[in-house]
Amino acid sequence: MKLTQKVQVKNEMGIHTRPATVIVKLLQNAKCNVSFTYKRETINAKSILSILMLAATQHSRITITAEGEDADEVMQKLISAFERGFEE
Amino acid sequence: MSVQTQELRLQGEPICRGVAIGAPLFFTLKDELIPEVSIQKQDIDREVQRYIRALTRSRNDVKKLKKKLLNEKIDEGAEILEAHLEMLHDPLLTNQVEKAIRRKCKNAESVFQTMIDQYLKKFKTIADPFFRDRMKDIQDIKRRIISHLRNSAQVSLAEIPSGSVVFSGDLTASDTAEANTEAVSAFVTERGGATSHAAIVAKAKGIPYVTNVNLEQLDLSKVKQVIVDGRTGEVIVNPSLETEKRYQTMQKQLVSHMEKLKTQASFPVETYDGYKILLSANVDMEHELEMLHRHGGCGVGLFRSEHIFLKNECFPTEEEQYKIYRSLVSKMKGLPIVIRTFDIGGDKFLNHQQTPLEGNPFLGCRAIRLLLREQDHFKAQLRAILRVSLEGDVSIMFPMISSLSELIESKRILKKAYDELKEEGVPLKKEIRVGCMVEVPSAAVVADLLAKECDFLSIGTNDLVQYSLAVDRTNHAVNGLYSSTDPSVIRLIKLVVTEANRHSIPVTVCGEIAADPRFTTLLLGLGVHELSVASRYIPTIRHAVRSTSIIEASHLAEEVLKLMHASEIEELITTAYRENVPEDCFYNI
Repeated sequence: MKLTQKVQVKNEMGIHTRPATVIVKLLQNAKCNVSFTYKRETINAKSILSILMLAATQHSRITITAEGEDADEVMQKLISAFERGFEE
Repeated sequence: MSVQTQELRLQGEPICRGVAIGAPLFFTLKDELIPEVSIQKQDIDREVQRYIRALTRSRNDVKKLKKKLLNEKIDEGAEILEAHLEMLHDPLLTNQVEKAIRRKCKNAESVFQTMIDQYLKKFKTIADPFFRDRMKDIQDIKRRIISHLRNSAQVSLAEIPSGSVVFSGDLTASDTAEANTEAVSAFVTERGGATSHAAIVAKAKGIPYVTNVNLEQLDLSKVKQVIVDGRTGEVIVNPSLETEKRYQTMQKQLVSHMEKLKTQASFPVETYDGYKILLSANVDMEHELEMLHRHGGCGVGLFRSEHIFLKNECFPTEEEQYKIYRSLVSKMKGLPIVIRTFDIGGDKFLNHQQTPLEGNPFLGCRAIRLLLREQDHFKAQLRAILRVSLEGDVSIMFPMISSLSELIESKRILKKAYDELKEEGVPLKKEIRVGCMVEVPSAAVVADLLAKECDFLSIGTNDLVQYSLAVDRTNHAVNGLYSSTDPSVIRLIKLVVTEANRHSIPVTVCGEIAADPRFTTLLLGLGVHELSVASRYIPTIRHAVRSTSIIEASHLAEEVLKLMHASEIEELITTAYRENVPEDCFYNI
């Protein structure tokens, strides 16, 4: 199963160290491959360094792609984390 | 030949207040040259294993450090190290490096260094300084892994001799986290901003920290002792015996003075000739009320309602606000609270406000101007406040009023909200006290007109100074012109206080000068009866009030009003404070 979804960065500080940690932790046990595409760059969302290098600020739009058996569940979790602004 | 060690003073930017004396420790982070060595095919597994071991050891280091910080309740620092731990599990540093070692058949150090330098290069190109700053985390991890690979003992701030003043180009978060607070007496760095992780950790640990110090001309071998003055940003190298003694005495006094003040929470806030002052707290978050009660504050003089909602995506609903105000009021234990309606725009934004960027946000659509444009949201806030009016002593205050018509229009909307609630049968208090902030010079000039239309005035000095002198304090090119003692500012305060007293309404001073004890006597002399300060300053300000008399205050105000320059006024009030409270060397510099 391959899913794609656009999300917006809502928290004020953007995807800095803390949110990036949250994302990577959330994907720790995910079986599917997850990538983020931002400004024509696609990165492995399980890599905290890659996420940080995106330097996605508030209001950025990121495309999430998840591919694998648990893609649906993982996608829902990610969207909800972005929606809640990573509790910031 | 005897080495002439002369006292040398370097000027930097203070990040963390406090005073420290100690021996220097030069903690440099120079990149060591790493040799590139070819590895035989049959030995490549061993080389990969060596890299994996270095990673494991690095993770163990970070875990240990994190535990240490958690024990010390330094949560922000622990969170940063949690991120470091994730980085040490990052596929870019695990699989990718392992693969590259096998592919290139080179030693782990050189392969790792080449790869991580690529990432660092990428970070350097990021335009946003906030993200670029995160580069330091990677450098930190790099240093750790390399040192384990080389099996060299890493210099760690955990093992330094006690009383050290740490000098460095820059500091990483784990440097500061590792720092044994007992051992490190201060940090002095060439670079590093107030938002750096190191600054956050240093502040949480209360370690004096001065940055932007030019260390280039310093002959390191001749530095024997250093004094760091985190109040002024001064770094005194090889202090004379006299300077050293002065600072030692100061340090002792500082500690015992603060301890003494904390025991005086039940003492009345009045001058020694019996002039009473209402000393309340500025509060952003509900949990701060605990400190207000502990320090014996007499209420909340300014509740900045926007802070709780700054993370919101849109204006909070009436219900959402009602719940928060209600809980807040219930924790007041009957003490009065002034709720200021949202002061957003300028430097604070609700996320949903995607209004076009203003060229001059501080002169733009903020605070009451925004509320008067978004009347439904304004009314929702007023309704939420009115609904808790019977549950405690609640007043309403409007921010950034710049003309009488704005005050009248705001009051009209308040009346509308009141009448609506009444019609809905909601029980309300008959009279709600309404006040307005005076933080724009135009409002100060028409204070007499405003005083007729409201129940109290509150002078916000930070904005008043900035608007009066037309100085943006975040702009490095002009922030030297920002002076709270400028005669224009003092005259405006005097004008507002006089008009408020003439119309028999109370006037509060909130803002930084209210929390600076050197201003206390002057403010009393100008006729101020109420001060509102962040809770942690309550003990200091109470003591400043109790150490002066209203007669002295009137004389001082009279003298100050005769002076023509900000520097003269600052000197006069500082001298007066020093005479009254000589033991407070936190301000008596």
